[in-house]
Amino acid sequence: MTSRIAKKRGEWINRDKPLTFEYEGQQVQGYEGDTISSALWANGIRVLGRSFKYHRARGLLSFANHDVNALMTDGEDTNIRADVWPVSNGMQLAAVNTEGGVLKDKNKYIDHLSPFLPVGFYYKTFYKPKRLFPFWEDKIRKAAGLGKVNFNYPRIIKPKRYAHCDVLIIGAGAAGLSAAINAAAEGFNVILVDENRQAGGSLSYDHAGEQAAADTLNTLLEAVEAEKNIRLITDAYAGGYYGDHLVPIVEKSGITKVRAQTVIVAAGVFEQPPVFRYNDLPGVMLGSATQRLVHRYAVKPFDKGVVVTANDHGYRTALDLASVGTEVVAVIDMRADGASQELTQKVKDKGIAVHKGSCIYEAVPTKGKLGVKEVVVCPYNETTAEADTSRSVRLVCDGVAMSAGWAPAGALLYQAGTKMRYDNDLEQFVPGELPEGVFAAGKVNGVFDLKARLQDGRRAAGEAMNYLGKAVSVDTVKPVSMARPSHPYPIVNHPKGKNFVDFDEDIQVKDFINAAKEGFDNIELMKRFTTVGMGPSQGKHSNMNAIRILARIRQLPVEKIGTTTARPFFHPTPIGHLGGRGFHPHRYTAMHQWHVDNGGEMMDAGIWLRPAFYAPQGSGLTASEAVQQETLAVRNAVGMIDGSTLGKIEVFGPDAAAFLERFYTGKFVDQKVGGSRIAMLLDEAGVMVDDGVAVRMADEQFYVSTNSSNAATVYREMQRNVQLWGMQVTLVNLTGAMAAMTVAGPESRSVVATLTDIDVSAEAMPDGAFRSGQVAGVDARVMRVSFVADLAFEIHVPYKAGLHVWKSLIEAGQSAGIRPFGTDAQRLLRLEMGHHLVSHDTDGLTNPFEAHSDSLVKMDKPFFIGKRSLQILAKKPLGKKLTTFVLEPGFNGELPQECNLVIDAGNNITGRVTSISFSRHLNRHIGFAFVPPEQSSAGSGFQIRTDSGAMVAATACEAPFFHLLESKGE
Amino acid sequence: MKLLECPVNGVRPLSEFTYGGEYRDMPDPDTCSDKEWAAYVHYRAGAPGLKKEWWYHGPSGTWFIAERNTLTDKVSRTYIAGQEESK
Amino acid sequence: MPLGLLKYGLSKEHPAPRFFRDCTQPKKSYDAVIIGGGGHGLAAAYYLAKDYGITNVAVLEKGYIGGGNTGRNTTIVRSNYLTPEGVNFYDASVKMYEDLSEELDLNLFYSTRGHYTLAHTESAMRTMRWRAEVNKHVGVESRVVAPDEISQACPQLDIQCSGQAPIMGALYHAPGSVARHDAVAWGYAKEADRMGVEIFQMTEVTGIDVKSGKVVGVNTSKGYIETNRVLSAVAGFTPRITEMVDVETPIVIHPLQACVSEPMKPWLDTILVSGSLHVYVSQSSRGELVMGSSLDPYEMHSTRSSLDFVEGLTSHIVDMFPFLSNVKVVRQWAGMADLTPDFAPVMGKTPVDGFYLDAGWGTWGFKATPISGKTMAETIARDVAPDMIQPFRLSRFEDYELTGEKGAASVGH
Repeated sequence: MTSRIAKKRGEWINRDKPLTFEYEGQQVQGYEGDTISSALWANGIRVLGRSFKYHRARGLLSFANHDVNALMTDGEDTNIRADVWPVSNGMQLAAVNTEGGVLKDKNKYIDHLSPFLPVGFYYKTFYKPKRLFPFWEDKIRKAAGLGKVNFNYPRIIKPKRYAHCDVLIIGAGAAGLSAAINAAAEGFNVILVDENRQAGGSLSYDHAGEQAAADTLNTLLEAVEAEKNIRLITDAYAGGYYGDHLVPIVEKSGITKVRAQTVIVAAGVFEQPPVFRYNDLPGVMLGSATQRLVHRYAVKPFDKGVVVTANDHGYRTALDLASVGTEVVAVIDMRADGASQELTQKVKDKGIAVHKGSCIYEAVPTKGKLGVKEVVVCPYNETTAEADTSRSVRLVCDGVAMSAGWAPAGALLYQAGTKMRYDNDLEQFVPGELPEGVFAAGKVNGVFDLKARLQDGRRAAGEAMNYLGKAVSVDTVKPVSMARPSHPYPIVNHPKGKNFVDFDEDIQVKDFINAAKEGFDNIELMKRFTTVGMGPSQGKHSNMNAIRILARIRQLPVEKIGTTTARPFFHPTPIGHLGGRGFHPHRYTAMHQWHVDNGGEMMDAGIWLRPAFYAPQGSGLTASEAVQQETLAVRNAVGMIDGSTLGKIEVFGPDAAAFLERFYTGKFVDQKVGGSRIAMLLDEAGVMVDDGVAVRMADEQFYVSTNSSNAATVYREMQRNVQLWGMQVTLVNLTGAMAAMTVAGPESRSVVATLTDIDVSAEAMPDGAFRSGQVAGVDARVMRVSFVADLAFEIHVPYKAGLHVWKSLIEAGQSAGIRPFGTDAQRLLRLEMGHHLVSHDTDGLTNPFEAHSDSLVKMDKPFFIGKRSLQILAKKPLGKKLTTFVLEPGFNGELPQECNLVIDAGNNITGRVTSISFSRHLNRHIGFAFVPPEQSSAGSGFQIRTDSGAMVAATACEAPFFHLLESKGE
Repeated sequence: MKLLECPVNGVRPLSEFTYGGEYRDMPDPDTCSDKEWAAYVHYRAGAPGLKKEWWYHGPSGTWFIAERNTLTDKVSRTYIAGQEESK
Repeated sequence: MPLGLLKYGLSKEHPAPRFFRDCTQPKKSYDAVIIGGGGHGLAAAYYLAKDYGITNVAVLEKGYIGGGNTGRNTTIVRSNYLTPEGVNFYDASVKMYEDLSEELDLNLFYSTRGHYTLAHTESAMRTMRWRAEVNKHVGVESRVVAPDEISQACPQLDIQCSGQAPIMGALYHAPGSVARHDAVAWGYAKEADRMGVEIFQMTEVTGIDVKSGKVVGVNTSKGYIETNRVLSAVAGFTPRITEMVDVETPIVIHPLQACVSEPMKPWLDTILVSGSLHVYVSQSSRGELVMGSSLDPYEMHSTRSSLDFVEGLTSHIVDMFPFLSNVKVVRQWAGMADLTPDFAPVMGKTPVDGFYLDAGWGTWGFKATPISGKTMAETIARDVAPDMIQPFRLSRFEDYELTGEKGAASVGH
């Protein structure tokens, strides 16, 4: 059985491209351009899904992207919205949220239990005794939810696009098209978006059986086509409004982030259902949905239908239905006075009966509640919302079109900060006060007459242009006298209920009444208790009726009830679209590829990648063996590490030394050119933030290093303080521009000496000395450092020369047995030397007194960052102290891990291990730990608790640890 | 995303900026009490209103002051610290 | 079908009474006034009445109850903190939550799911061990687990995170739970009201009357109320209240955003948090994925949503769960959070006599609702803060005795 009708002017289907697909095991024919729902409806298939809570059969409702009961799966994807998703050849579709098929869904029994499932029922039971709650929770979780997720669905991330325009117009209906044409004509760059596949809005379907609307649309579209300043994007919705006119336009292919100078919202209105018993049966749908079926998809919605209405739109719907051969039995008008004489006559001329002051009391279902077979029509009292059932009439029909009013598609207006007001003539919320640069036009602005909408579009464009600084005249739009578009209370009470307000969540009129009785009688509490508007359609068809019902319960005017906040997104938006291409950038040092080629195990070190250790292919080295060998190479001969990730900042100017004295804890004014000093940075609270080395290259030039992870923040804070203190200092961040490497170990001097013109002898270059010169033919900055070994040279060269110098040093060190070492060996080496690592051995609260760094803090300076706080802290007893420690010689129990706790005899936490390693060189386990100050002096013992709970004795010990070797020798 | 005007580089998207906290006058560390200093370090004027704030334009490395209403998120003006009058 | 529901189907009239009275005009004076009708304020009122028999109490809420952060948070309850005092405090809260549905005679949907804090870096692993060790010490079930154990609990999670940030392990916290946030506020309101507490919605405090360093009353949109004891429990608005009494605090307001997906059949049973990816996610009993991230980066007193937030969050969600590419985000929203420098609350007495603070709740207020109510009730009743909340006293900042929670760098929640 097909209800596809003869070709309609402007139809959206391509009759040259028929296609076949499967729905719930049944073969279905359709055309390219059909949505899933239109193709199914054309084939007489009306049960498109089951509802969320009661598992009632549902068909088409809005045909406007909020038919949340018609969600499908194609086996790959889930929750596909059948009302708007294009059907394609060979699709295999099934409704989600059913068990055993959409027609025979085993869960439909829940509908019969509904009297026992009052509003918020789940708050009232299932918790006594509490041990049973998990059982009920499992049942509830399984019953809830919509589609099943396909865990094998591919990772699809969509690119982000960007666009800018003078005027962004949302909605390409009459008002939006008119606004676009008028703004573009004045030379403004316009982006016009519409969520439908074709522009036109209601002009493309609300024809009332005539041609005038289609003619108007043609004229407008031709004008848009001819205008090069307009970029029309269809099949795309504006996802939300964000600050400074940023609007993401969501298409199937991805998101375009549009930054507009002005935004005109001409998004129209959502049709609202009247509420009567069984208004949810398949075959009962909104009037605009029937019109869309007719004019866009050439489908006859029903054979024999009735129209229930509370405005003139129902009459227009009746005329459209009649024009395609639906036998319209009656127009049932809830208004006592009905429509104008003229409109009523038009309908009557088509042989359609008009029942004024009447309502549908209930729709009567076919067997299994899979469709409608008749409606019960009664006189309606608009004041009490009661039907007079003593005078009922039954009308046989297979479908009902509902037109009771409209709610503004004003979500973006709300998000932009528009204050909406309730217009008592229109019975609709309309923009009251608009934010800067945001305008509204057309039905969303409360303008319904077609001519007036065109004018309103021009007016909004004019105001937008004035806002953009172009003086154009703006005509006010004269109100057109017309029947009220929305009914103030299109609700019909029914003692048996099932008069649905929210089709997403299966919420009936009595649920609101009962929620109010329980005290949830303001709109936000009611929303939360009943869940109205919380389903995937976000209240598009339900919020307005909910507000009306609450107003009636509270006996307050609608504007006193207010609205709930309309949050993004306008329609649910895919995670892959929003996430887009993720960026996880890494920085490579100049020697990166060499490390990789030589077995470097690359690890994240902040934004950089660094080798943790080297295990060349075929070496068979385990991580720990590699680390020990690298460490021993440094102790016994020579090793080299890539230190390019260090922050490197050059500080110039007459105030350079004075600046560093204020910035760091140490003294720099009296520092000699060619020497280096520790540069420890605190925050204002006296907490250790960073430590590096400052080299004085010239009187007014310092070269400062920072920890790798702090390079950006230290540089930034330097910049801020230069500005704040008004000092004559220039800063250059050389972190990425310079490569750095440290050659360490007893043989390091001889290796470096072969490649440099600098005198690196002990006399000429003592520890801490800095020299400029050539290394391997490259201009280099060379420092004597002692972080990982007593004898070590840190060599800085331009990034581009880094690999050359590195390779040259490796080459030169071959005979001495040079080994590259990674960050793991570096940690062990510095531990043997007794150097803590800031933010590894310290945490976000550690001050220098706790970290044995008193000597680096020059309290006799007039000022440095953190000094005043240290003066306060110095008066307080220390709570903890960082100490170096050893385990017993030959310890072979369960090794404590970093962050295992120090536990006292009273089983209290008194500290924690911050570093621990086995040193093969020392043949001992050594580490750092926070302990109570009284246990921090060499020789004090304390207990560490391991993961498994074993207690391990440790002894505080002087560092560097090398004295352990001597004592062993005694 | 919000837009912010860097006094040197003009209007740029917020993603290019880092918030640096409220601009506050430091008490004289030599004369203030411990309590005053502790309050300076830890306490903040948290109530909504127009505030002078530090902002940093990352790509160009520019610190500047923005006067921003923390209730409406509207920035009334931006300038380099110390050059308030010249703006 | 539980018997409790039978009466609804069998009664002609809806058999359930109001949860709480519709109070409109406050009396001339109260023994205590609680500013803020969120979970915390209502819980404090409830325990004042229940534990101390102080029922002449008004709760003043400028909007509707539970409409602030109670109704905006992502409802995770846990106690796997870093400091013993933090763990003890939140553990007491977890234990109260476990019995709270029965106590308040309302199903709060308190659902123990197990909580995994994922670590993608070595330093994160160190922090996980630190937390695990402190938790174990205090008797809270937390331990460091390897990737294969995470996979068993959540087989859908891509341990490699699409190659972007491979997971090295996690802190597993068995008591980690979720609850129905609104119901917590409603349940406390219902029981507090039953004992005589009066709850005033749409009632804004416009000033606090302090004479000689003592609270003597509050000005409200519904007139002046005499009282000697005022509790501010308005996280997100705290500075506006403390400004009225000239009490200085470190609290600044940053928005905290979240979003939900469309409902789907249950698949995610655990609660997952990733500090490195700034993601936390759980699946509600309705089937929605509830997702959140870290605080917005700058101060603002607004609940606007931002696109950056949802873009950043979802890009990490697809790293963790590549198959969610076409699952849709339905709604995003925001709350306003009180941020403190040491990621711990500010609770107890203040320099103004009779003015008590329950503030600084950052991103962790919901999980502390019962215990904060109980301890603040004690503070108000006795004018002495119990030992349990001494670490969170306001004066710790002047004393340079910040809590050690600052040490844990990863995202809270």
